[in-house]
Amino acid sequence: MSILANRDTRVVIIGGVAGLNAARRMAQFDFLVNRPLTVQAFVYPPEEGQQKEIYRGGELKNVPVYSSLEEALAENPGINTALIYIGASRAYAAAKEALEASNIKLVSMITEGVPEKDAKRLRKLANANGKLFNGPSSIGIMSAGECRLGVIGGEFKNLKLCNLYRSGSFGVITKSGGLSNEAMWLCAQNGNGITTAVAIGGDAYPGTDFVTYLEMFENDPETKAVVIVGEVGGTLEEEAAEWLAAEKRRIKLIAAIGGTCQEVLPQGMKFGHAGAKEGKKGLGSARSKMNSLREAGALVPDTFGGLSNCIKQIYEELLADGSIKPEPEIDEALLPELPPKVQEIMKQGEVIVEPLIRTTISDDRGEEPRYVGYAASQLCEKGYGIEDVICLLWNKKLPSREESEIIKRIIMISADHGPAVSGAFGAIIGACAGIDLPQAVSAGMTMIGPRFGGAVTNAGKYFKYGVKEFPNDIPGFLAWMKQNVGPVPGIGHRVKSLKNPDKRVKYLVDYVKNHTSLHTPCLDYALDVEKITTSKKDNLILNVDGTMGCILVDLEFPEQSLNGFFVLARTIGMIGHWIDQTSQSSKLIRLYDYLINYAVKEEREVPEKK
Amino acid sequence: MAKILEGPAMKLFNKWGIPVPNYVVIMDPNRLEQLGEANKWLRESKLVVKAHEAIGGRFKLGLVKLGLNLQEAVAASREMIGREIGTAVIRQVIVAEMLDHDEEYYLCINGNRDGAEVLLSNRGGVDIEENWGTVRRLFIPIDESPSIERLTEFASEAGFSGEIAERVGKIVSRLVLCFDNEDAQSIEINPLVIRKSDMRFAALDAVMNVDYDARFRHADWDFKPVSEIGRPFTEAEQQIMEIDGRIKGSVKFVEVPGGEIALLTAGGGASVFYSDAVVARGGTIANYAEYSGDPPDWAVEALTETICSLPNIKHIIVGGAIANFTDVKATFNGIINGFRESKSKGYLENVKIWVRRGGPNENQGLAAIRKLHDEGFDIHVYDRSMPMTDIVDLALNS
Repeated sequence: MSILANRDTRVVIIGGVAGLNAARRMAQFDFLVNRPLTVQAFVYPPEEGQQKEIYRGGELKNVPVYSSLEEALAENPGINTALIYIGASRAYAAAKEALEASNIKLVSMITEGVPEKDAKRLRKLANANGKLFNGPSSIGIMSAGECRLGVIGGEFKNLKLCNLYRSGSFGVITKSGGLSNEAMWLCAQNGNGITTAVAIGGDAYPGTDFVTYLEMFENDPETKAVVIVGEVGGTLEEEAAEWLAAEKRRIKLIAAIGGTCQEVLPQGMKFGHAGAKEGKKGLGSARSKMNSLREAGALVPDTFGGLSNCIKQIYEELLADGSIKPEPEIDEALLPELPPKVQEIMKQGEVIVEPLIRTTISDDRGEEPRYVGYAASQLCEKGYGIEDVICLLWNKKLPSREESEIIKRIIMISADHGPAVSGAFGAIIGACAGIDLPQAVSAGMTMIGPRFGGAVTNAGKYFKYGVKEFPNDIPGFLAWMKQNVGPVPGIGHRVKSLKNPDKRVKYLVDYVKNHTSLHTPCLDYALDVEKITTSKKDNLILNVDGTMGCILVDLEFPEQSLNGFFVLARTIGMIGHWIDQTSQSSKLIRLYDYLINYAVKEEREVPEKK
Repeated sequence: MAKILEGPAMKLFNKWGIPVPNYVVIMDPNRLEQLGEANKWLRESKLVVKAHEAIGGRFKLGLVKLGLNLQEAVAASREMIGREIGTAVIRQVIVAEMLDHDEEYYLCINGNRDGAEVLLSNRGGVDIEENWGTVRRLFIPIDESPSIERLTEFASEAGFSGEIAERVGKIVSRLVLCFDNEDAQSIEINPLVIRKSDMRFAALDAVMNVDYDARFRHADWDFKPVSEIGRPFTEAEQQIMEIDGRIKGSVKFVEVPGGEIALLTAGGGASVFYSDAVVARGGTIANYAEYSGDPPDWAVEALTETICSLPNIKHIIVGGAIANFTDVKATFNGIINGFRESKSKGYLENVKIWVRRGGPNENQGLAAIRKLHDEGFDIHVYDRSMPMTDIVDLALNS
């Protein structure tokens, strides 16, 4: 048996993410004691219509979110309890509405920092309506083996350690939330566990008091003794003492009271819960509470640590006089265990999951990303640059100093080529249309293809093919290309020619061949090809795509990575164009009519639709 | 509980029609001279100058000066402003009219569980304690306001008569309104004075506590509550308060000079019991500390470092109950880092550390902190099977 919450308790949680978290903890308890889901509904207008996913053991449940309590109760007539998890400024209205709803008998509030006046009014309203208002600042209510309201009891393992899967003989009432959990543990460690534990909250004016629940425990035959944890301030503990002394009580009372340290603290220094703010000597002081409880017949240890022995003593007395029989220990192995997450059982090697993807370049599971095993920060520290990271992520090896210098120069030299080319122009049109950076740059990026910047890969690929299949036979290679591919990728330029050479190409070729020790079979081959093609036509020069492709092949980059260099380099330029245009607040671009040849039909009549 | 200074209290009294003497709050003594030109009362009345800061025992510290004329008041403010008292600096003074009066009364309202109680006596002033028997009490249930007739009758019960009873009844009704509408927790006016020649009343001195949690519905609350620990906050306390103000969960810290046992305890309830256990076993606490509500590890680390730097400590009690949702592993991570950092700065020499804790991820948290032993810390770690405050006994017996 229990008080306040039992197997028939059904809950609506008023509040957002904290409430959802509580509902998940509550579902773990539901699973432990094999009861249906306690939480039936949420009320939280911002998330109206959503379904919250809650696991009861391995079973996935969906709990609806309503915008009003009225609606939640109309659709879930079994609800008889409300938990308030909403902020302090809205908690009063939410609790008031719940206390006024006919089905709801108990409202428990976890919200902290609720104005005292609001708490007083709610208490008065609850009393007038014959209901209970528990809290504010209450961690919740736990009825062993029956029902959990809130996160009281902590993690799943603790629920078992505290014997919360079955009822014991001790009731618990505390002001503090943390100590409710501690007290439940003490009752399991030194006795046979709890019937119900209630945290009434540490505010100055809680909605309920010790006596409210002592009366209930007195009427619950399963509860043989009650542990209360009180503290300095207010008179709730004195009232409990009065209650105990007033007549012969069936239950035994054990009480720990906090705050005696205030006797020796400097004048005016007070701390702890909001309610623990008054009384140094006399009524309200911890000493007065301890004395009146002792005089009334309660067992009161002088420190909290002494609570263990008090509980043990009472438990042994209860066993001795036959009020309770020793319960056989339940083998923990027989208790259900929360289904583990896949990661946990994989770790234990009990299940094999086929990976969905495989990576060979990068791992960020540690404290920082590692590129092919090297920590990013160490690369920085040891003087490596972005070109080395490109090599690692694209080619999985660290380049030599010379190689990385070549890569750096390739990127520098192809970072931008003015606003007129397809990529930059695309990005500029996008910027002028007011679109954001990633979209505008993507617009430019979509231009990269066979006619613009996209020839690097194919140039590298076919020149490499030529080196391999047609060494010393350039005419044979050109004939094969003509037959199987078409124009040679990397050869030819729209405006540049032998007479008007591309300075970038000349620079790159000169740098690589005359200032580095790189072995350049592919580049040499392409230059030989150029000699023949330019003899046919002046502008069939080795262009920048072709030059890059060959050098990168000579650097042993994978073929399919080669376009990446153009994409990467030009991204820098396109971002620049976007920033440039937006910082000038450029206007929307529209083509002038005179730039368009309207080669369309004359104006004519639309025929009737047949 | 939030005590507010006289200035804001007077402002609220004015708002609700409780008579107050003329007053100004100033930061610059020159401003008082200018105000003197604008306000007749400053030129013609006897004045009182008080430091407008949360400092106890102001009278003894010479921070209250009575019976001054304007020039003397300017001189007194010049002398007070900028003075340093402990860690506090006096930045403001309140200058009020010292009303010549014939009688002093006592009027107070205190919140209680079911509403509030009004206390009234016609024998107020400094001797109120001696005349406590004359105090009459009236209970006012929450959300009810007694009629003027009832309050006048109440005043009569307290020994007032005729027009004065009526006027006192009216002042009580305004006090109740002020209490109710300003989310007050207590207001004590002592003395409430009367000058019978023109039947002028004034609340000469008052202490008001408001419920600072209710500030969300008081747009005109432009004050901060004053220190609740009976003295100004120290720098370390202010630092922790500043962290507390911007995190989920909370960290709290109060220094108690001269103590030998430092507390690094979790939870509002448990931390008080740890302090009690130290005192019960004859020890002296060096501080009060509390972290709760699953605060981030860096906040706990800052709290740890603050505690490690307390002077002359012999033990640190890393105590706590079995947490409901505060992650032991994560918060202990902060504590461990704090200990290491403090040790590298030369703290924790000859300091014994005692640990007892339970809650989410307790095994990992306890195992991690236990490893500090290998790094040369004098640390003793216990799990939930150790009764909560018994590590205090172990520390004091060691």
